[in-house]
Amino acid sequence: MIVRARPLLGTFVEIQADGLSELDGHRSIDRAFDAMAEVQRRMSFHDPASTLSRLNRLASHGPVRVDEWTFDVLKTAAEIHLVSHGVFDVTIAPHLQRLGFLPPAAGPAVPMAARRWSFADVQLLPDRSVRFLHPNLRIDLGGIAKGFAVDQAVAALQAAGVERGVVNAGGDLRVFGQEAFVVSIRHPARPGTALGTLSLSNRALATSAHYFADERISGRRLGPFINPRTGRRQARLQSVSVDAPTAILADALTKVVMLAPDDSAHVLERFGASALCVAAGRGVRCIPGGRAAFQLAAQPFFPSRRHRPAHSFNR
Amino acid sequence: MQSSWIRWSLPVAVGLVVTAPGYAVQYLSVASAQKLCFPGCDQFAVAHIKFTPAQIKAIEAATGQPQQLRGQEIWKAMLGGQLQGYFIVDYVIGKHLVIDYAVALSPDGAVRQIEILQYRESYGGEIRNPDWRKQFVGKTPRSRFALNDGITNISGATLSSRHVTEGVKRVLATYEVCLK
Repeated sequence: MIVRARPLLGTFVEIQADGLSELDGHRSIDRAFDAMAEVQRRMSFHDPASTLSRLNRLASHGPVRVDEWTFDVLKTAAEIHLVSHGVFDVTIAPHLQRLGFLPPAAGPAVPMAARRWSFADVQLLPDRSVRFLHPNLRIDLGGIAKGFAVDQAVAALQAAGVERGVVNAGGDLRVFGQEAFVVSIRHPARPGTALGTLSLSNRALATSAHYFADERISGRRLGPFINPRTGRRQARLQSVSVDAPTAILADALTKVVMLAPDDSAHVLERFGASALCVAAGRGVRCIPGGRAAFQLAAQPFFPSRRHRPAHSFNR
Repeated sequence: MQSSWIRWSLPVAVGLVVTAPGYAVQYLSVASAQKLCFPGCDQFAVAHIKFTPAQIKAIEAATGQPQQLRGQEIWKAMLGGQLQGYFIVDYVIGKHLVIDYAVALSPDGAVRQIEILQYRESYGGEIRNPDWRKQFVGKTPRSRFALNDGITNISGATLSSRHVTEGVKRVLATYEVCLK
């Protein structure tokens, strides 16, 4: 078993590879890190040389051909946008800029009244070209690319012959191999403790929460969860963990549940996923209800005697 | 050349001695990180640099960050007597974590690789606390994994790597000031 970590995608990425010799194991991990760095190079909003930045500069003037990975991510974003009835929308970049989560755009600010676009204004053309139908539309893949990068890292490990492994990008993780992994979910109110555990086998788990997401911007309680309809920050929950077949789905679906937990059951079911939600002061619940993939923490998982076990609630 | 005052000692048998608290994760030793960053190199010559006040000032001016280290361990990676690059161990201390990491530089000072050596959380002790881990025994069908490696898999720990990014800037300034 080899475990390594590097700073990538704005967080710490930890990769575990089992079943190879030390030399081959390290080589496979190198390839997995390289794949993730490549995702970062192509899909970074901050890097002016990325495919995404080229798209944001040029796609409102005409079709722009993009690489296969970026196109794959946009296709998945389109599917989740459709199934979630617009709750998941990667075209919220201008709102994130206005709120200070992304660096501001050059040039005059676009008035709120002129910000009437959605992912429906993004055309994905058959030759891997992308076109924006609104002049001010900008895409940020921050809510989905990290999951995709985890999937690419897993693919690289598997191609290199790794039998069993984990890729964990700051909480967006995916495991593969014959034997399951036990994963702990951090408690949003007590980051030193576990909320619950999950036995994962060839699955992904992503968590979106408020405890660290907003660390960089002092004085702001809410993380970068934007309601695409209003352009305002919104989070109905303190923490959402989604268990899904792939990390790209788990990553993106946490945002759907965070913004619209009550309408998310059909979206989760459509993608073979389930969610564990924590609402401040209201406890924990699973979506879809009654089919919990999550093994909630009973007393044994909490070291503190002061803590009362979480219980689910019904609406 | 400012580097003339650095005495490089050979050969190298230097390891970093670390006392690991219960919730530390050690990924790589210094020696194995050196091998990964500079495969094929036959010598790693170490220098324990002690910064002069002028150098500290220069590093702080270049980065806009305080230089809290009094000195730094820097290795020259050599192959057949030829310099292949530098290997520098640095530390960053954030709000919730302490990280030992290594930066591999090419001879002209470009970043080749960054590897986390060790990671400690100032909280999270409960998650990795051995007593707490014992609770897993018999609780899951795969308790062996819960004990061995399941605990390292924590979802929701979205820690920012900003401190390392800032640390790397400081390491690059150290290269400019002390090695170039």
